[in-house]
Amino acid sequence: MAYEPEVAAAKFAEADPRDVLAHAVDRFERIALSFSGAEDVALVDMVADLGDKVQIFCLDTGRLHPETYRFLEKVRDHYGLDIELMFPDPEAVQQLVREKGLFSFYRDGHQECCAIRKIEPLRRKLANVDAWITGQRRDQSPTRAEVPVVQQDRAFSTPGHPLVKFNPLANWTSAQVWDYIREYEVPYNELHERGFKSIGCEPCTRPVAPHEHERAGRWWWEAATQKECGLHITNIREDDIKPARASA
Amino acid sequence: MKITFVKKILADGSPCRKCGDVQQRLDESGQIDHIDEVLIADERDADSPGMRLAAELGVARAPFFVVEDGGERRVYTVYFKFAKEVLGGGEGKASDAARDILDDNPDLDYV
Ligand code: SF4
Repeated sequence: MAYEPEVAAAKFAEADPRDVLAHAVDRFERIALSFSGAEDVALVDMVADLGDKVQIFCLDTGRLHPETYRFLEKVRDHYGLDIELMFPDPEAVQQLVREKGLFSFYRDGHQECCAIRKIEPLRRKLANVDAWITGQRRDQSPTRAEVPVVQQDRAFSTPGHPLVKFNPLANWTSAQVWDYIREYEVPYNELHERGFKSIGCEPCTRPVAPHEHERAGRWWWEAATQKECGLHITNIREDDIKPARASA
Repeated sequence: MKITFVKKILADGSPCRKCGDVQQRLDESGQIDHIDEVLIADERDADSPGMRLAAELGVARAPFFVVEDGGERRVYTVYFKFAKEVLGGGEGKASDAARDILDDNPDLDYV
């Protein structure tokens, strides 16, 4: 029977992340964990208990902090697990840097660089699995308040290749993740001790104040223009808007 | 078949960057020859042709394409998908496809 993510999401809505992972590996043979080098190391620790059933990969954009590279190596040594580094297409990076320099994201927005350095390698990786696991949590930012524990992946599924996404930490808080890391003496990225809640690429991540949500430390210079693709049609009468068949 | 390309002018009068990117891809690939009409959705003017079409079709983002064929209208808000399904192009550059995925899924900031 085809896997129904919505059914599983309801069943595991309040489940412990380890139960979600056990269910995931039970249902999917080709499954991979996307590890960012941050506190999602808790998932690496949980996955390590399941043997080698889950592939682990990390998107090496070439722009990560030196601390993160050292941390990846530490995790690899600690668990004796393979961590596959996914690299961007060198030609695409070369063209971007040749045409727009090394810091184009400050001027043009992060999307072009992220598409080349993260999304394309991620897409390449996900083409070879049927399910993947992320460290997304609902408490990370207001935009993630609805993240379910299991979902159909909308971004990378194709008609011929449906993909399921597991977010086992969705209903854990940051405090719970850190309790886990301390309790099980899980290694963690030293940047967390310097105020980084979220860890991404070095030029695009900064520490955040205690009252800010953790995603506030990413692409902070873009905050005002993030909704550029939206069509602000609020000045059109509501009753002018009719439903249409959208193909994308 | 009639293809309409709708691009946007922002509320501050500046052109939409993404629309410029898509226009450039259309121009460079020669696909612009398949576009029958280009409309402007000017956020400062709800009566601009592109804004009216967006309202009529319930489209909330730009740029977008409308394909009219045999009395049916289909809307594409992702260039890559439009090019592949309507113009029959291949996948094109992997980085372009990745860009479309990101633009269509802004919540992908978790990677
Ligand atoms: S986070 Fe910044 S450096 Fe990293 S891929 Fe995105 S834009 Fe490029």
